[in-house]
Amino acid sequence: MAMVDKESSAGTETIVPKLTIAQRLDRIQMHLKQEWQIYAMLAPLVIWFLLFNYRPMYGLQIAFKDYSVFLGIEGSPWIGFEHFETLFQSDQFVRAFKNTIIISLLSLFIGFPMPIILALMFNEILSETYKRTAQTIVYLPHFISSVIIAGIIITAFSPSAGIVNTFLGWFGVEPIYFLTKPEWFRPIFIGAGIWQEAGFQSIVFLAAIAGVNPSLYESAVVDGANRWQMMWKITIPCILPTIIIMLIIRIGNLLEVSFEMIILLYQPATYQTADVINTFIYRQGLVGGQYDVAAAAGLFNAVMAFVLVMSANAIAKRVSRTSLW
Amino acid sequence: MSGVFLEGIVKRYGAVEVVHGIDLEIKPQEFVVLVGPSGCGKSTTLRMIAGLEEISDGTLRIGDRAMNRVAPKDRDVAMVFQNYALYPHLNVADNMAFGLRIRKVPKDEIAKSIDEVAKILGLTEYLERRPADLSGGQRQRVAMGRAIVRHPDVFLFDEPLSNLDAKLRTQMRAEIKRLHKRLGVTSVYVTHDQVEAMTLADRIVVMADGNIEQIGTPMELFNNPANTFVAGFIGSPPMNQFEAVLEDTDQGPIARANGTLIQLQGQEALRGAAGRNVIVGIRPEHVMLNAEPGTAEIPISLDLIETLGSEALLHTHVGNETFVAKVETHGEIGHLNGVNALHVKPERVKLFDKDTGRAIGQAA
Repeated sequence: MAMVDKESSAGTETIVPKLTIAQRLDRIQMHLKQEWQIYAMLAPLVIWFLLFNYRPMYGLQIAFKDYSVFLGIEGSPWIGFEHFETLFQSDQFVRAFKNTIIISLLSLFIGFPMPIILALMFNEILSETYKRTAQTIVYLPHFISSVIIAGIIITAFSPSAGIVNTFLGWFGVEPIYFLTKPEWFRPIFIGAGIWQEAGFQSIVFLAAIAGVNPSLYESAVVDGANRWQMMWKITIPCILPTIIIMLIIRIGNLLEVSFEMIILLYQPATYQTADVINTFIYRQGLVGGQYDVAAAAGLFNAVMAFVLVMSANAIAKRVSRTSLW
Repeated sequence: MSGVFLEGIVKRYGAVEVVHGIDLEIKPQEFVVLVGPSGCGKSTTLRMIAGLEEISDGTLRIGDRAMNRVAPKDRDVAMVFQNYALYPHLNVADNMAFGLRIRKVPKDEIAKSIDEVAKILGLTEYLERRPADLSGGQRQRVAMGRAIVRHPDVFLFDEPLSNLDAKLRTQMRAEIKRLHKRLGVTSVYVTHDQVEAMTLADRIVVMADGNIEQIGTPMELFNNPANTFVAGFIGSPPMNQFEAVLEDTDQGPIARANGTLIQLQGQEALRGAAGRNVIVGIRPEHVMLNAEPGTAEIPISLDLIETLGSEALLHTHVGNETFVAKVETHGEIGHLNGVNALHVKPERVKLFDKDTGRAIGQAA
C-alpha cells in the first residue's frame, strides 16, 4: 500500500503519494527516455565541468603532501596539515589574507551598490538618446583589457605627466608617487574596479528593473507617489531578490580579488597593502616552485569562499525569502 | 460623488488617432461599463480619465473641474488594474495602506480605514499575508480594497476580472455590484466581456475603432441595438444577421431572405421601401419552436444541438446562412431532433441598413 505525504501550500493541503525506490527508478528511466534530447544538450556543459572543475580537484591532495614533480602526485609522501601550519605561521600569508579581506570588503561595500545606483539613475533618464549614450559610455571600460586599464592608471597617476598630479599641481600640491605609496593602493585599485565594472554590472539590475510590472508604477501614480517615492517603495523592493542573488554571488567570490589587476599595479613597495592570497599563491607556486604550499593556500581560499557563500545564502533565505538554492 | 464628463475626447499617438472625439456623460453614482473588442480604445479612454494617458484633444471634467492638466493624484480617482498591481513585497494591510501613507494620512485613521474595508471585503484574516500567498479572487479583493480605502470620487476598473476563472468571475461580479450599491461611488468599468457589461452596468457604452457605437441601459442595447456591430456584440450567442430584400404585401412589409419570407408587422416606416437591401437581425432567444398567431415561420435545416441544461442551442442553416436558436429544453432534448422550422414574432425582427449597418426605424 502506497504511503502518503501531506504537502501544504498557500493554505491548501494536497496529498502526495510516497513512491518506492523501484517506482522512483522506473519514473527516472521513463523521464530520461522522454527527455533525452534535453540531457544530450546538457551533456557538453556537464563534461566541461567534470574535466575542468572536478578533475583538477584530484590535484588538491598535494596540499597535504610533500609534493615533488619527479615523484608525481601519487608518489609524493603525505605530510598532513604541515603546509597549512607553514602558511599560518608565515607573515606574508597572514598579510595577504588580511589584505584580501580588507580589499574585498571595501570593494563589496563601495563597489556593490554602485551598479545598483547606476541602474536606478539610468531608469530615471527620460531622454532615450541621452540614456543610450550614457549607458554606452559606462559600459565601455568593461571591454578594455586589464593591461590597458593598468596602463591608463599608471599614466594618470604618474608623478611627472599624470593628469591627477597635473590637476593637483594647479593647487600647489607637490607631485605624489601614488602607485608606490601603500596607503594609496587600495583606493586606486577599488576606484579602478568600480570604473571598469560598475556600468556593465548595472545591466543585470537594469534588466531586473525592466521586469517590474509597469502597472505598479501606474497604480502608485494614481495613489499620488512621486518618482523618488516610486524608486524607494517600488523599484528597489521589487529588484531586491536580484540584488540579494547578486550579493550572494559576490560574497562567494569575495576572496577572488582581481588577481591580474593587482599583479599589474602592485610592486614590492606596496605589498604591505596590495599583496592578496592569489598573488601570494602566484609567487609561491609559479615563481617560487612551491606547488604544494600554493595548493594549500588555494584550498584554504576555496574553503573560505564555500563557507561564505553558504552562510550568505542561508542568511538571505531566512531574512528575505530569496536565495540561490 | 461627482459625475464624469467627456467632451470630444481624442487620443493620438503621433499621427495615429485611436480615440476619435468621444462624448460621454457619466452621472454621479452611476455604474458605466465601457465594452468593446480589443483595440477599440476603451482602456485608453479609462486611462485618460485616470490621468495615465494625456488627452490629445477635448475636455475631461470630473464634477465641475476640468481635469486635462490635473495630475492623476489630484483627480480623486482610484483605479483597479487588470493584473491587480499589488506590491509583491508588501502584505495585504500595507498594500491597502500604500495610497494613504503617500498622502500622509494619520496612522490611526489608516488602521481604522483598513479594518473597515477588510471587513467589507472579507480580508480581515489575510491582512498579514503577501500577495503571493493569496488566491486570484483574494488578490482581486485586495486590489479593490486598496481603491476603496481612499474613499475616492470615482472608481476606475480596467478589466479587473479577466484573470479569474469563470466561476470566480461570476462570484466577483456579484461582489462588485453589491459594493457599488453599498458605496454608491461613480464607477467606470472597462471590459471586453459583454456578460460582465450586461450584469454590472447601469449603462453600457459600446465602443469600436475608437468611436462610441451606442450608449444605453443593458436592456436598451439588447432590445434595440443601434447598428449591426452592437447587435453582434451584445448578447450571447450574438444576434443572427442575414441579408434580405424588403417587399410590400397586402399584409404589410416583408423581408425575403434565401427564399424565406419574414413578416415585419407593425413597421409602418417601411411602407414603400420595397426593393431596399437590409440586414435582418433575430436574437437566438427570440426564436420559438412552435407557431403562434402572427408569427413568421423560418424553415431551417438542423446541423447541431448544443445542450446547456435548461436550454439548448440549435445550430441551423437558413438557406446558406447559419442561424442559431436558443430554446428551452424542459429537461428533454429528444423532440429537438426533428425540428425543421422555427418561429419568430414580427416585432422581434430587427432591420439594419445593408450599407450603413444602422438600425432602421421599427417597432420595439
